[in-house]
Amino acid sequence: MADPANTKLGRMLLDEITPVVMVLRTPLVEESCRKNGFSLIEMLAPFSNFNNIDVPVRTASDQPYRLRKFRLRLFYGSEVRQPNIEAAKERLKEVITFSGDKDISDLCSDPPDIESLIAISKQEMVPSWFQNFNKELIDVVAFSEHEAFDHPVACLVAVSSKDKDPIDKFVDLFNTNQLPPLLNDGAMDPKILKYFLLVHDNQDGMLEKASGILTEMRSAFGANDCRLLCINSSTDGAEEHQENLWASYKASISNSKQYGCFLNADDIEELRSTMHDFSSKHIIPHMELKIRVLNQQISATRRGFRNQIRNLWWRKGKDDAPENANGPMYTFSSIESQIRVLGDYAFMLRDYELALSNYRLISTDYKLDKAWKHYAGVQEMMGLAYFMLDQSRKDAEYCMENAFSTYLKIGPSGGRNATRCGIWWAEMLKARDQFKDAAGVYFRIPGEEPLHSAVMLEQASYCFLLSTPTMLRKYGFHLVLSGDLYRKCDQTKHAIRTYRGALSVFKGTTWRHIRDHVHFHIGKWYAFLGMFDEAIKHVLEVLPCGHQTKATQELFLREFFRIIQETGKTYEVLRLQLPVINFPLIKVVFEDHRTYASTAASSVRESLWQSLEEDMIPSLSVMKTNWLESQQKVLPKKYKESNVCVAGEAIKVDISFRNPLQIPISISNVSLICKHSAEFDETESDANGFLIDHQNDKELRAVSNSGEFSLDTSLFTLSEIDISMRGGETILVQLTVTPKIEGSLKVVGVRWKLSGSVVGICNFNSDIIKKKVTKGKKKPKQPVKDNLQFLVIKSLPRLEGIIDNFPKTVYAGDLRRLTLELRNPSKIVVKNLKMKISHPRYLIIADQEVMNSEFPTCLRKQESSSESCTQVDAARAASSLFVFPETTAISSETPLKWPLWFRAAAAGSISLYITIYYEMEDESSVITYRTLRMHYNLEVLPSLEVSFWTSPCSSKLQEFLVRMDVINRTSSESFQIQQLSCVGDQWELVLLQPVESVSPLEVLISGQALSCFFKLKNRRIRQSTEENTSSLATSGRADVKLVDGDSRGLYDTSISPFILFHHHERVHQERQEQGHGGTVDFILISESWSGSDAGLSRTTEVFSHHTCHCRVASKSPIWWSMNGPRSVRHDFSAAFCEINLSMTVYNSSEDVVSVRIVTLDYTPATNSATSAASVSGNEVGWHDTSQLSEIKVTSDVIGSRGGKAPSTDSVSPFIWSGTSSTRFNLEPFSSAQVPLQICVFSPGTLDLSNYILYWNLVSSSDGGHDVDGPKVSSGTCQGHSYHVAVLQKE
Amino acid sequence: MASTACFMIVSKNDIPIYEAEVGSVPKKEDAAHQHQFILHAALDIVQDMAWTTSAMFLKAIDRFNDLVVSVYVTAGHTRLMLLHDSRNDDGIKSFFQEVHELYIKTLLNPLYLPGSRITSSHFDTKVRALARKYL
Repeated sequence: MADPANTKLGRMLLDEITPVVMVLRTPLVEESCRKNGFSLIEMLAPFSNFNNIDVPVRTASDQPYRLRKFRLRLFYGSEVRQPNIEAAKERLKEVITFSGDKDISDLCSDPPDIESLIAISKQEMVPSWFQNFNKELIDVVAFSEHEAFDHPVACLVAVSSKDKDPIDKFVDLFNTNQLPPLLNDGAMDPKILKYFLLVHDNQDGMLEKASGILTEMRSAFGANDCRLLCINSSTDGAEEHQENLWASYKASISNSKQYGCFLNADDIEELRSTMHDFSSKHIIPHMELKIRVLNQQISATRRGFRNQIRNLWWRKGKDDAPENANGPMYTFSSIESQIRVLGDYAFMLRDYELALSNYRLISTDYKLDKAWKHYAGVQEMMGLAYFMLDQSRKDAEYCMENAFSTYLKIGPSGGRNATRCGIWWAEMLKARDQFKDAAGVYFRIPGEEPLHSAVMLEQASYCFLLSTPTMLRKYGFHLVLSGDLYRKCDQTKHAIRTYRGALSVFKGTTWRHIRDHVHFHIGKWYAFLGMFDEAIKHVLEVLPCGHQTKATQELFLREFFRIIQETGKTYEVLRLQLPVINFPLIKVVFEDHRTYASTAASSVRESLWQSLEEDMIPSLSVMKTNWLESQQKVLPKKYKESNVCVAGEAIKVDISFRNPLQIPISISNVSLICKHSAEFDETESDANGFLIDHQNDKELRAVSNSGEFSLDTSLFTLSEIDISMRGGETILVQLTVTPKIEGSLKVVGVRWKLSGSVVGICNFNSDIIKKKVTKGKKKPKQPVKDNLQFLVIKSLPRLEGIIDNFPKTVYAGDLRRLTLELRNPSKIVVKNLKMKISHPRYLIIADQEVMNSEFPTCLRKQESSSESCTQVDAARAASSLFVFPETTAISSETPLKWPLWFRAAAAGSISLYITIYYEMEDESSVITYRTLRMHYNLEVLPSLEVSFWTSPCSSKLQEFLVRMDVINRTSSESFQIQQLSCVGDQWELVLLQPVESVSPLEVLISGQALSCFFKLKNRRIRQSTEENTSSLATSGRADVKLVDGDSRGLYDTSISPFILFHHHERVHQERQEQGHGGTVDFILISESWSGSDAGLSRTTEVFSHHTCHCRVASKSPIWWSMNGPRSVRHDFSAAFCEINLSMTVYNSSEDVVSVRIVTLDYTPATNSATSAASVSGNEVGWHDTSQLSEIKVTSDVIGSRGGKAPSTDSVSPFIWSGTSSTRFNLEPFSSAQVPLQICVFSPGTLDLSNYILYWNLVSSSDGGHDVDGPKVSSGTCQGHSYHVAVLQKE
Repeated sequence: MASTACFMIVSKNDIPIYEAEVGSVPKKEDAAHQHQFILHAALDIVQDMAWTTSAMFLKAIDRFNDLVVSVYVTAGHTRLMLLHDSRNDDGIKSFFQEVHELYIKTLLNPLYLPGSRITSSHFDTKVRALARKYL
């Protein structure tokens, strides 16, 4: 550790605890000194400080030592008293204000980085004015009576040689009335050392007279105590001094020339020698002497065991004395005062050991006397003595602590002493690098004035900063505390300074209340000082304070607007956090070759459109080469990857704004910031320059109201939106920019106006946040930021398309005609129109003729209906790509109208996508084609639920019974069932009931169900295949009218749109597993029915319900029927009866089928085993092997089959004649006749069902049969029952 | 129950992840930031103290005027800090231990990212209940 004398506290003590000299002078002395511009004390001050006085000193011990540094403190007699508190306060305030004003200049700069702050040395960091302030604060408690070191040691009496009766003057000056109270009230010994100085002004001449007076003085006051001092020897008053001696003693000295101008080198030399003489020959010996005298005296009375006992005894007796805390309890003559004086003198002469021993001695006395102030003062000095001796730190600290707390204990009167003690204590700790403890001391120093506390807190904070390890958070906290106090005392500059220091700690902190507090207050104070730029910068930080209470948010916002208002300017603020922009939600929609009919269409995924347009647009590679070939010269390479947009067409940017506050805010003039440049090459640099301009120097800037954007309006137009947001709300805003001229356009950012006063700017690119640009690029590797860079090409035609009256909500099955309307606003003609629809099940393109016909009627059967449209145009139906006729040209005047058929195929929500492709006439453009994308959403509600149940009619070949169940699933709608149709030529449908009985109410109201039965015939079987063509003429039979008394014709299901929709339905409803033989498709047509006033209010709505692939056949591919006589008369008496029958077997499958007919002479049991066997011929393992012997066993089963078979017990009444097994092959879709014969033995009704047909598929010649593996390839069929009545012939 | 108390959990990166004013005195407007300041400054002390003892509960380590800061440091160096004005070391210790348990339960939640803000309302309710019980 360094020598205590060289520490800060050491120097302070050596300066402060020095002998005081009281100066008494006559006004004429002062006058002479004034000539030089200062008072007598000021003139003497430089010479009362000795750096190397080199005087041997011998105090109590016999060992003399040499004093190097010595200092006298000079005070006028009138000043030797307790200073005026108010004046002192004023002076302190001045010190602070003065230093505050000094460093205003760097208030604007950014707070220093905390690391660099630590790095710089201590001296630079801690403001230098603290020292002055501390000194002033210590001086406040000077000349207290309980301490002796401020008591004058000597008295310097100065009289001018011009004074009349100088000797009398000397006597008068030491008149008791003018002496300070300390001397008068007995606190100190009035008999002090006197030194008589005769000041002679050389300008007045008469040196002889002065010498005369001096001799007179010497005789009167003693030879040694008198001296003549000659000043003002220089006559011209232009004396120059090499170094300014007085500069360091008087702060206000600014111009060195004026001071000491009449003092020449001789004068200065004389001044110096006078003071040296005074101190070395008078003061120091006087003090030595006094120390020795007092020491002897004290040793005699107080030292030693006996004296101590006596003292204690005596003290005890004094205990009863009334408590008089601070009164002149101890006069100068009391032993306590003398010990104290001894200690102080020893301290001043650097004999700390002696001082300490005396302090120790007296402190117990004071303590016993409960003279707390004296006690504290002594403890304080003990601490300092320990410190100066550099021993026993603990004792030093203990003493200081003791003193400090004692001063505090005695109440307000000790406050200032406590302050001084605290400062010394803290300095002491600092000198020993105990910064943390020092900070604690500073913190404890009582602030009678908040201002003083502020300074103390600030000093404490610096201690935290200097401590190891650095306690930054404490540093910040105490700076903030101090700043608050500064502000309370109107020291705004200091407050800002401290807060700035704190900011370097709290910058970027996640402790939100701290951050808000610091930024808000510093911002407010900057505004108070009129530094609005800084103010706004800080207040901006606290604006998005969602975590604060509503009241605080309002306060912040109000303050912000107040500051803005005070500036009287419109501010543009980069990164205004109110409202917050949610970056990932930014979406850019622009139209290059893709155009959108509605915003809904633009939000659809690009891949969906691409898959839809796949075979419609020219393939990418082809397009690209064409594009390159034609445009290579015009386009720089980098623009190959930039977005293309068309002049005159808006680019839409969706931005979502979020209000982080709980209070509503209003935003106006929300618009995009764009940069347009006509040339391609300069764009990049130009745009960048603009950006740098934004990023670097201007966090915020004031703009004139006209704005620089007026210039740009010729290049592009921007949309402006005003919104008001409630607390916590998020609003999606769509902003548009419409470029007008070719070139390159960059969307730079967005700007808005908050509450009509602050313009916020958000730069998209500077905030590197991932933006999701949905319609961005085909190439994913392209950097994100270029998504806002557009290449503007000259204007192109842009088709506008709309479907009129597109329904939002429909019932399932609703069939409508819609009209697509295409407009071309531009003059340029477009060609090669193509169109594709995503869901042809719902929407198909009609023929243009349909436009002109009336809607529901045109669907009905007409005589003139041409046969051309009966066949499904398979290609057209499958591709769903529609090419408009070449002649179709759209000009601006007449929109193109094209009919569409719409049918709500199934219940649920559905999105329909329509894309229309067209090409430009103008080949030179970058874009040669465009697509118009349309998107519609609709909801389909369930309406009628139709189900069919078919069962083959056993008696007849290819006839089926059909049951139709219809349930109305709507909640309110009623329907009128119009018609049921079978699709295809080969079917014929007949209603089994009379028409009236089908639906007696004519309508099907909601929730109602309806069943009706039909007979279905397959016409193709009955008629030979070559007749197929002629069957078309009788196609009308496939429809059945289900409503009675309707004069209108049937709907023609063989024309479009029915047939087209039916095609899609078929494809949609396709079943995985198809049985053999035919399936049938039904179309049920109904109309909406609206009660009694039908036909009045609305047009008829037609509903069609398609049910496809209703299986009509069983699993087997073969059908057969038995033909023969139904009743035979025979004379059984003659012979048994032979009946010839024939069986027609039809193969309905597409393969050759091998059929074996086995006739049985018993009735096969219809138990489960056999029926299972009949289902499938594929079975493996155990199966029934129908043996003849089982006849008897199963005879009871025969009986169970009903009473049809005659109950001839054991013998069957007939037998099959001829071969029992016939095998033949059937070609696909062909039939064969098999003759059969039975022999009947007795009359009766016979059931000829005891035969079995075995079939198995003969695989077709090619090898493709493996494909449908699971298909059943063989099986068994039980014979149908066929009854023959054989009667006895009469 | 203490008349003023502010409880805070500070992650090992010195980021507050949970804060609650649990005092019985109605909340003052400027108290929130003052409490944050005091607790924030106390972190400096915790930094020194945490390594001098093996105990998790550091007792009252800092004071500001009449407010005392008690700290509990978990093994992961998450600090549970309580600013209070009444001396009740046993209660505070129990409070810390129970909150530590709650905090561990929160950590076990696979959806909770350690070091992120604790937003669970269940946690909040529990902490306040514990504060009523022990402080």
